Amino acid sequence: MVKLENITYKAGQFTLGPINLELPKGSYTALLGPSGSGKSVMLELIAGLRFPDLGKIFIDGIDMTNTPARKRPVGMLFQDYALFPHMTVEENIGFPLSISGADKAAVAKETGRIASLFKIEGLLKRAIKDLSGGEKQRCALARAMAHQPSVLLLDEPLSALDEELREEAVKTLAILKKEGQTVLHVTHNRGETDGLASFSLLIRNGKISTP
Amino acid sequence: MHHNRNITHFAFMLLGAVALLFIFAPLAGMFLSVKAPGLFETIRDPEVSRSIVLTLGVSATATFISSVFAIPLAYILARKKFPLKGVVEAIIDLPIVIPHSAAGIALLGVISRDSLLGSAADSIGLNLVGSPIAIGMAMAFVSLPFLINSARDGFAAVPERLEQAAETLGASKFTTFYKISLPLAGRSVVSGLMLMFARGMSEFGAIVIVAYHPMTTPVLIFDRFNSFGINYARPVAVIFVTVTLILFTLLRIYQKRRW
Repeated sequence: MVKLENITYKAGQFTLGPINLELPKGSYTALLGPSGSGKSVMLELIAGLRFPDLGKIFIDGIDMTNTPARKRPVGMLFQDYALFPHMTVEENIGFPLSISGADKAAVAKETGRIASLFKIEGLLKRAIKDLSGGEKQRCALARAMAHQPSVLLLDEPLSALDEELREEAVKTLAILKKEGQTVLHVTHNRGETDGLASFSLLIRNGKISTP
Repeated sequence: MHHNRNITHFAFMLLGAVALLFIFAPLAGMFLSVKAPGLFETIRDPEVSRSIVLTLGVSATATFISSVFAIPLAYILARKKFPLKGVVEAIIDLPIVIPHSAAGIALLGVISRDSLLGSAADSIGLNLVGSPIAIGMAMAFVSLPFLINSARDGFAAVPERLEQAAETLGASKFTTFYKISLPLAGRSVVSGLMLMFARGMSEFGAIVIVAYHPMTTPVLIFDRFNSFGINYARPVAVIFVTVTLILFTLLRIYQKRRW
């Protein structure tokens, strides 16, 4: 569960908040808003890549307002996927596990399990440059899920995909919902989260409202 | 239009060929005018082989030790904004623009016995002036900018997004640097290390002031030229250039395969 209490963040002329928000465990929330509305900033605040000027962030009931990104139980899917180009699919997915000190056999086993969840078990030895857009998305999702985060943040997860790949990608996101993963899905495209989101929020000029 | 472009390209090629010839011709001339008996005698000369081993060894050591300090600095320069950053970058480029004899004089001030560092070394029985340490310092001084600048450009080309992604996956700043930034900037870092090593090896001006002895090969070439003339200096130069060419060809092949 994620809870934002009076979160305020200023960057130059732009002010986000104050934002009060609660993402119940297992919920799939859509956050809709035009570009420049503060969607990505909000995700980065929850992920710990930025820190708020005011307010508190609780994850699983623990105050994580000043906790650095690496110590938060958060997974993030970046808009451009941010896959590590010098690693294979397997090394990308296994990255959060191997740096946590898990032994090789355990990493391989868990990587295989997550890869099969996203139907990319046949691509494990591939280089990132040899993946299609849809495969990259699934690889990035699998990696973001590998350390079993309490909440998964999706930053425009479909924007880098062609129209014909989107349908497939939406099915992939539905896997997250089925797995009971808490998800915050940020997009500027209203139709994108139809059938996925349990509820939707609007963000405009740094303020959140319900549609 | 097409015709015009062809003339331009042809003119550029001709001009470029002059530049190429300017580099290549003197070296080729040096190789062609060396006499075989003199060359074989020089190959067997222990003073020459000693100087080559000293030059390569000290330059490699200086590069390795400097990298411990230079690579973190390059990373900070690529990632952080801070006051007076322009001044810091100008200081880094200083060794490229000042005469190397002046660099030698500056270093001599730091390592001579009446300096803080020199007297400290002297108290444990170490005379820095005229030692391999002084040679290494002179090599590092003149060649550090090549490593720092190349590595900095390499780090700057790594998207910060990848580092952020690593952090959200649980990586500490150091793990992120070691597992993501450094391998992705690897080609530039290795290029910088090779440039630094090469530049250090070929240094003469600064070294001759802080340590005439033990003689590095560039100093030996100068010494033989000064004492005995060009015919005695040329074979040493040919051997040294050959050794460095072989070494750098091998290093380039290794770099191409690895990165």
